[in-house]
Amino acid sequence: MKLDFSNPAWQQTLPPGRSVAADAPAAACAFSKEGAIVAFALGDGRVRLLPADINAAETPAGEPLHNGVVLALVGDPAGDGFVSGGDDGRLLRIAADGTASEIANQKGKWFEHIAAHRATGAIAASAGKSAFVVKGGEMKEFGPHESTVADLDFSKDGSRIACAHYGGVTVWSIGQVTVAPRKFAWRGSHVALKWSTDGKFIATGTQENDIHVWRVAQATDMRMQGYPAKVKSLSWTADARFLYTSAQPVFTAWPFSGKGPEGKPALQFGEEGAGMISVVAAHPAAEFVAGGYDSGELQLGDIKTRRSVVLKMADGSAITCLAWSPDGYKLAVGNDAGTLLVIDLRR
Amino acid sequence: MAQAQVPVTVLTGYLGAGKTTLLNRILSEQHGKKYAVIVNEFGELGVDNDLVVNADEEVFEMNNGCICCTVRGDLIRIIEGLMKRKDKFDGILVETTGLADPGPVAQTFFTDDEVKARTRLDAIVTVVDAKHFLGQLEQGDEAEEQVAFADVILLNKTDLVSEDDLKKVESKISAINRYARIFRTQKSQIKLDAILDKGAFDLQRILEFEPDFLHHGHDHDHEEEVKSLSLTADRPVDPDKFQKWMGALLQLRGPDIFRSKGILAIDGAPRRYVYQGVHMMMDSDWGTPWKEGEKRFSKLVFIGRNLDGENLQRGFNDCLK
Repeated sequence: MKLDFSNPAWQQTLPPGRSVAADAPAAACAFSKEGAIVAFALGDGRVRLLPADINAAETPAGEPLHNGVVLALVGDPAGDGFVSGGDDGRLLRIAADGTASEIANQKGKWFEHIAAHRATGAIAASAGKSAFVVKGGEMKEFGPHESTVADLDFSKDGSRIACAHYGGVTVWSIGQVTVAPRKFAWRGSHVALKWSTDGKFIATGTQENDIHVWRVAQATDMRMQGYPAKVKSLSWTADARFLYTSAQPVFTAWPFSGKGPEGKPALQFGEEGAGMISVVAAHPAAEFVAGGYDSGELQLGDIKTRRSVVLKMADGSAITCLAWSPDGYKLAVGNDAGTLLVIDLRR
Repeated sequence: MAQAQVPVTVLTGYLGAGKTTLLNRILSEQHGKKYAVIVNEFGELGVDNDLVVNADEEVFEMNNGCICCTVRGDLIRIIEGLMKRKDKFDGILVETTGLADPGPVAQTFFTDDEVKARTRLDAIVTVVDAKHFLGQLEQGDEAEEQVAFADVILLNKTDLVSEDDLKKVESKISAINRYARIFRTQKSQIKLDAILDKGAFDLQRILEFEPDFLHHGHDHDHEEEVKSLSLTADRPVDPDKFQKWMGALLQLRGPDIFRSKGILAIDGAPRRYVYQGVHMMMDSDWGTPWKEGEKRFSKLVFIGRNLDGENLQRGFNDCLK
C-alpha cells in the first residue's frame, strides 16, 4: 500500500479531495461497506451522503432524518447504506439513495453509540441503559446495565458485545441470551470502549483521564494513567499490535505485542499540535494513522518510520470525527463547524 | 466553534415544592429565549419540547478515594450531546428529584473539562414549600441541604400560610444559608430574569451583601446544624498560603462544607481573585480589577455543618501578609 505521507506540499494545501460546508457540527462519519459512499452525521438531524469518488458530482443535502442531533453513524454491514442513531430516540437504516426506514424507536432516550460487525452483518446500538443487537431483521435487547451504556463494540468474531458503563464493562453473548453476562469491574465511569482487532483485549477510556485494558481470556486488567484529559477516542491497529489514544498532543500508541504494555512507555511520535488529539483512527490495513486535533489540525502519521505530516484544515474548529475508507485510500474528516472533508491519499 | 459558555441553572426543591410548575412556565412562556431542560421525570411536564431531555440522575463516585466526590456522569454525556446541536440555546436548566442531594449535580460542573469549557454553573435555585418546609426539615437532611446549596430561593406557596409563619420560615432559611436571595412566590410565579442567567454563582453578591440581623442567634446554634458564616480580611492574602490552607481544609472538612465562596485581594495582584467550591472541589479565576484607590479586602463564605467560625478565621488570618 502506498500513501503519499511525506508530501510536503500538503502542509500548504490539502491533498486532492472534496470539502463541503454543512451548517451544523459533524458528530460522526463513516464509509459504506463497499466504500462507494461517505456519510456525515450532523447536528441538524441530517445525514449528509457524498460520493466517495472525489471527482463525482456532489449529491444534494437532503432533508433532516432525525428530529435533533444525529449522534451515531456506521456503514450498514448488511447493505450499501448506513445506520444512524439520534437524540430523537430513533435508530434508522439509510439506503444508498438517502431514504430512511426506522429500525427502532426508544422515545425519551438517545441512540448514542452504534457498532457494526462486517462479517456477520450485525449492528449493536445503545439507548439508555440497554444495548440492542440487530441482525437479519431480528432485534435483541441486552440490559439494562447499572447506568447508561457509554460505548459498545463487537468481539472480533461478532459473537459477543462489550458495553461500557459505571463500574466497568459487561460482555454479552449475542446468540445465547440465557448465558449470564461477564463483568469486568473497575470503579468509576467508563466513557469509551474498543475491543481489540484480535479479540484479546477490551480497552476503555475513563472519566478520570486514564485508560483501562482487560485481557478477555484471563480477565486480568491494567491501567495507563497520566493523561491530561479524558480519553474519548481509542483505535486499535489492524494487526492489534498498538492501541492509539486521544488526549495527547502527539500520536500515542501502547504496544500490545509480546508481553503487552505493562512497564513499557507508550510510543509517541509526530509533530506536537497546537492542541490535543481529539479523535484518532488507525488505518484499516497498514501502519498509518490519522489524528484530528481539538485545535483543528489534521495529522497523518506512519508508525514504522515515525514520520508525519500536519494538514491545516481551513477553519480551525475542533475535529470531531474521522473515518478511513475500507480500501484505506481515502479519509473522511468532520469538524465542529460542519466542514466535511474527504481526501484521497493515493499516490 | 468558539462560543460563550452556556449558563446552567440547577433547580432543586423538596417533593411538591413547585419545581415542575416553574419548569412548565419556563417552557411555555413567551420570553424569546430557548432553554434546554434536563428533567428526571419525563411525563410530569405538560409541554412537549424537543429540548427536554430525560435523565436518570446517574451518580458515580470519583475514583480518587474521596467519598464526597460524586458526579452526575449522565449530565456530562447529555451536555456533550446538546452541544452538537445546530441550534444553540440561551441556557440549560437541570431539575433534580425532590430527594436529591444537590452536591453531585453541582460538582459535575467542577469536574469535567469539556463541560467546564462549554457551560458555567449560573445558580442553584431551590424552591421551598412555605407550608411544609419546617416539617420537611424533621424528615431528613434533604430539605436543609437543598437550602444550604442555594444561591436563589423561591419561597413558594406563600398564599397558604400566614405572614407570621412566613417570617418563621424565612428566618429558618436564613439561619441555614444567609447568603441566598429569597423571593416570595405563589404558584412559582416569578419573573424569569430574576432567576435565570443571573451569574449568582459569580459571587458579586457575597461582597455587596452582609446580613447582620441574624448575628444575635449564632451563639446558640446547635453544633450539628447547617449554618453559614463569613470571614473577612483587610490585609492582602498570600496566595500560596491560602491555597495550602484551603486545600487542606476542604480535604479534611469537605463532606461537611456544602458551599464555599470567596473574593480575595491577593498581594500585588491588580484583579480580584474569585473562587468557589462544592464540598472538596473548587475552582478559581481572576475577577474584575480593583479600581484606583479602592479599598481592597477579602471575604470568604462557608455554608455547612459543624462550622467553627473562630477556628476558620484563625486559619484564614495565617494566610494574610
